[in-house]
Amino acid sequence: MIQVNAMGDACPIPVVKTKNAIKELNGAGTVETLVDNEIAVQNLKKMASVKGYEATSEQLGPNEFKVTMVIGEGAAADDADDTVYEACDITPRKKKIVVQISADHMGEGGEQLGKNLLKGFIYALSQQDVLPDTILCYNGGASITCEDSPALEDLKAMAAEGVEILTCGTCLDFFGLKEKLAVGEVTNMYVIVEKLSGADLIIRP
Amino acid sequence: MREKKPSVVLSFATTTQAMKAEKCLLDNKVPGRLIPVPREITAGCGLAWKSLKEDRDLLMDVVKANDLPYQAETELMLV
Repeated sequence: MIQVNAMGDACPIPVVKTKNAIKELNGAGTVETLVDNEIAVQNLKKMASVKGYEATSEQLGPNEFKVTMVIGEGAAADDADDTVYEACDITPRKKKIVVQISADHMGEGGEQLGKNLLKGFIYALSQQDVLPDTILCYNGGASITCEDSPALEDLKAMAAEGVEILTCGTCLDFFGLKEKLAVGEVTNMYVIVEKLSGADLIIRP
Repeated sequence: MREKKPSVVLSFATTTQAMKAEKCLLDNKVPGRLIPVPREITAGCGLAWKSLKEDRDLLMDVVKANDLPYQAETELMLV
């Protein structure tokens, strides 16, 4: 059995190292590869399926995976088609999503309706598989992150999942809400501009 | 993902009824909230009241006492 440490290695290094180890085996045997990401696991398994090796994977920790390949007799001999499965999956960079809440209501026309719609929007937002990176609250939207906000529970749940929630300090001050902020951090216009201009997607309810 | 809990959902015939019911239920301190009608109930748009299943008796007492017109009661797992 050969163990390959490919922790911290970028694609396609884990595959290359594993293939070298299989060559070293020079016949039947087992190769265990340690990697730190799921994509590497998938690439290794893809390589194994192309080559006809038996592969299993196991997650050892939050960023630690072990892929075990069992190489049968005579299976390691061919290395002619090396390039085929070495192509890396380009993982699409995660889109930066910013939700911009600029009022305490959603849409125009009915004030109480708009408040209920915004409440519903934030509830539904908190249940998406992909949560936004940042939620920016300003002007009338500043009250949504403060005590007594009907959306507090949902915002806190998103904050707990790593969503950055930023409320405009000028606005909190203007509405006398400075002491009442109940979730996230206070921010300023420079950060608001940075977050908006750095976003791939801005969602404005 | 947020943990889902057994919940009771009341749907209403109109948005106005839903909003009136919300006011009445909150005034009567019924634990729960107005949510967009879950997709499991209808693909249409609307508002619904959600309480935890354990608060159902209290909810229905207030609904009956105030004659709140609701359309349907559904049990669902919701956050």
